[in-house]
Amino acid sequence: MTHLTMEQLLAVREPGLEPGVQGWRDHAAACELCRAELERMDQRVARLRALPTLRPARNRFTEIRSQARRSRLRHRVLMFSLGGVAFAATLLLAFVLSTRLGTGGAAARLAEQSELDSIIARSRQLENVIEDYNPDRRVTDGRTAVVAASLEDRLAQVDRQLQLVDMMDQRVRPQEALRLWRERVGLLDALMDVHATGAKIVRY
Amino acid sequence: MDVFGLANADRVLPGVKAGDPAAQEALYRAFESPVYNLARRICRTTEDAEDVLQETFLEVFRSIGSYRGEGSLWGWVRTIASSKALMRLRRNKYRETDELQDDVVPLRREDTALRMDLEAALERLSATSRAVVWLHDVEGYTHEEIAAMMQKTVSFSKSQLARAHMRLRRWLGEEVPA
Repeated sequence: MTHLTMEQLLAVREPGLEPGVQGWRDHAAACELCRAELERMDQRVARLRALPTLRPARNRFTEIRSQARRSRLRHRVLMFSLGGVAFAATLLLAFVLSTRLGTGGAAARLAEQSELDSIIARSRQLENVIEDYNPDRRVTDGRTAVVAASLEDRLAQVDRQLQLVDMMDQRVRPQEALRLWRERVGLLDALMDVHATGAKIVRY
Repeated sequence: MDVFGLANADRVLPGVKAGDPAAQEALYRAFESPVYNLARRICRTTEDAEDVLQETFLEVFRSIGSYRGEGSLWGWVRTIASSKALMRLRRNKYRETDELQDDVVPLRREDTALRMDLEAALERLSATSRAVVWLHDVEGYTHEEIAAMMQKTVSFSKSQLARAHMRLRRWLGEEVPA
């Protein structure tokens, strides 16, 4: 009597029915030696599954976390660069449109400049407050850190856009600069709130 | 496997997706041991297994946004870990040592007399055979899945498994004289 080979025994254990397997199953059911071999195989697999779980010798989370941060930063730089190109294209379009439609008078430009000066001053003031608060040296919870990181990302993006504005044509510069500085002040306000609230939560 | 940790893992998922460091650490704690165990069972050295552990979690944190909740979170992480471990096997191009040890060099008398312990026998298998045995018999992957992960055919996976079982049977002293 020819007994089942190892490949056939393994095929018998597999779910489903491939060609020829039913014949091998019938043989295994009738043959004491092959049945015993199947049982030994089941026991071997059970012993493999029961082997102790091996654990790493040291905690690598800090290392993984800092690598993940570096990789996230590289990704952001790439995204900012792409965003910058898109933004430059938008400004170019705005410039073309503004030259066709014409711009406002000298009085409007003066008012814009005055508002811009005041917003820039407010932005500096907020930055000083945040710097004095020194959030890097304070303990914050994870959620606060995430929200703060996201606001800082957006701030970096706005700063990059502001750099591009300086390189654009005089006629489109004030409106865009005003819009971006307003956004910057809003973000700094929000960042200040987040740090203040987060610190309170941690303290209590 | 840390069942308590795995149960918690799904709860921290929104935090991990938002990049919350505390949630990331909780996820790491939940899956650290099963990922390392899988990597260590497939890779030859502890250094390789630790590298696989690190690469797996970097990939998990980077791609967590693409996990849509189809299938278990552990299943998703495990597939990443298996791929990384197999990639390392390919990269290192481990020498197939079992042919030499088993077929050419005769076993020492005490090896056969004492019967090998399962851990030692598993360690003695070739890297490929060991990976197939572990992925199929312990982790529960099908031959089709293993073939796809190893970039080989289904027949290759089946024959590696059969080969591995023949060797384990012999080394563990389970062979019955015909």
